Amino acid sequence: MYSYIVRRLAFGLVTVFVVSVLVFVILRILPGDPLVAIFGMEGFTKLTDVERANYMAQLGLSDPLIVQYLHWLRDIASGNLGHSFFRAESVGDMIARRGPLTAEIAFLSVVLSWIVGVPVAIISALKPNSIGDNVSRFLSILFLAIPGFWLGMLIVLGLLFVFGYRAPLAGASLFDDPVANLQIVVGPAVVLGLGQAAYIARMARSSLLEVIREDYVRTARAKGLSRRPVISRHALPNALLPVITLSGILLGFVLAGSIPVERAFGTPGLGYSMFIAVYERDVFVMQNLVFLYSIIFVLLNIAIDLTIAWLDPRIRYQ
Amino acid sequence: MTVAEPETQIALPVAATPNPAGLRRVARGLRLFARRSPMSAFWGCIAALIVFMAVAAPVLAPYEPLKSDFRAMTRPPTERHVFGTDQIGRDVLSRVIYGSRASLTVAIGAVLFGTTLGALWGLASGFLGGRFDLLSQRIIEFLQSFPDLILAMAIAMALGAGFGTVIVAISITRIPFGGRVIRAVVLSLKEMSYVEAARGVGASKLRVMARHILPQCIAPYLILATTHLGVAIVIEAALGFLGVGIPPPTPTWGNMLADSLNAGLIPPWWLVLFPGGAITVTVLAFNLLGDGIRDILDPRLRGAV
Repeated sequence: MYSYIVRRLAFGLVTVFVVSVLVFVILRILPGDPLVAIFGMEGFTKLTDVERANYMAQLGLSDPLIVQYLHWLRDIASGNLGHSFFRAESVGDMIARRGPLTAEIAFLSVVLSWIVGVPVAIISALKPNSIGDNVSRFLSILFLAIPGFWLGMLIVLGLLFVFGYRAPLAGASLFDDPVANLQIVVGPAVVLGLGQAAYIARMARSSLLEVIREDYVRTARAKGLSRRPVISRHALPNALLPVITLSGILLGFVLAGSIPVERAFGTPGLGYSMFIAVYERDVFVMQNLVFLYSIIFVLLNIAIDLTIAWLDPRIRYQ
Repeated sequence: MTVAEPETQIALPVAATPNPAGLRRVARGLRLFARRSPMSAFWGCIAALIVFMAVAAPVLAPYEPLKSDFRAMTRPPTERHVFGTDQIGRDVLSRVIYGSRASLTVAIGAVLFGTTLGALWGLASGFLGGRFDLLSQRIIEFLQSFPDLILAMAIAMALGAGFGTVIVAISITRIPFGGRVIRAVVLSLKEMSYVEAARGVGASKLRVMARHILPQCIAPYLILATTHLGVAIVIEAALGFLGVGIPPPTPTWGNMLADSLNAGLIPPWWLVLFPGGAITVTVLAFNLLGDGIRDILDPRLRGAV
């Protein structure tokens, strides 16, 4: 077990490093002149060569690329993560201020996806091809196809038309103003949660159908246990292992999905700042946020792999 | 790209020239498909209709998609404008019809380029094994440590807006998936006795790969490709929605949804409902078509792709 943990963590470290290099290459080496992004094409042509050189030096963009990369690593280590092109706030502060909201949305959506997905899968798998099974399969196929941000826009519009209600637009922390905070968080969490629930229901259904046919389940039934404990105590724990892994992969879906979904709801979270960064072509903010999201994704997946290894001896002793 | 293509592969495992007998076999294959999964056949027809809509957009659209009518701005659906008009008086129905062009071009381009490249890579790495395989696996894992929309956003932003950029950005996110699935298929094929037999009679590595392994990968590739079409359409729409997709004024469904939010705090409902509905129906159609193709071609792949 220990060697597995060490190997997994070591590979995680390598991944973090490679991801940082990839992000740097994509966002800092590929793009054209960052001054064009800041001033626009028209403003850029009006600058003199000296002004251009000054701005580049100010932004630290005239150093050799390797030095720029090392500076970025230093910024990451110090925690302030550099500044946006357009705003005074450092990226670190921005993450601290807006991150909790998005983290809450992500957490709630994962919880919701299990609360909805697993029971639906159980209903489906216990009576394959029944009406309940067909309805739930249709719903999961439908929710796989609906883009979350569109569903979000429809929900906002629907609430406005029917109840004249709009979730508060200003950020509110869970501890200072829990009521406003929940109103902001619930919408995106429901949309992202349902999207994941569709995947989870699909996976859990096929996994349960497979496990139910196993010998040990038949043995449990044969020794006289009734259906309910056999499902909940014998079949489910094994059937849900692949669902845990899937849930980890779906975190990518949540992290990325939160960007357009927060845009649709106007949620003042980190996803919204990522949208702003993309919209304004703010390379510095984008680079840090892409890195942050990828690191969270990688680390949580390592955590999930370790959890699975802990739950499933077949993996632990491989 | 029509729906008939995948079925051709079912009815005719060996490539056939179009002749009367061949056509009859295609028709029989289609009938078989419709009987075995009527649901998928129905949605396959919808997908075909959407493709037709994209091709025949200039004929079908009642108005020019870019032409503003300043006497009719932000009008709800009426008889003259069935889907209403947007803030500068452009006909929403025409824009939705033209939007299918952007969506399908990007999706098909991304699949032809990304999924295919990934599949070929998976084929090579699975078949050759060794160090090349090990290295490929690591690269794929690194690519997969980015959530796909975020990777596409970063690449699209870095390369600057445009049709080609969006296709490249989405293609790159498709490569690892293509690679993984096809590699797994190839690994199991490699152990088959017919491959061993081919080697035994002295076929070169390249010949075994091209003549004996590659044809067996076509079925999983087709299944993967249809699923990826749906994914690519959603990513394209999200990129457009976030302002890093195909730049306006080109009508795309994502751009239309983004524009609707620029109207003010409350977007008019018809500007939201119709483009998003178009995305949903299109993705649904391709996903269900893919499910049907999978059931027919290879029931064992259920859940694997």
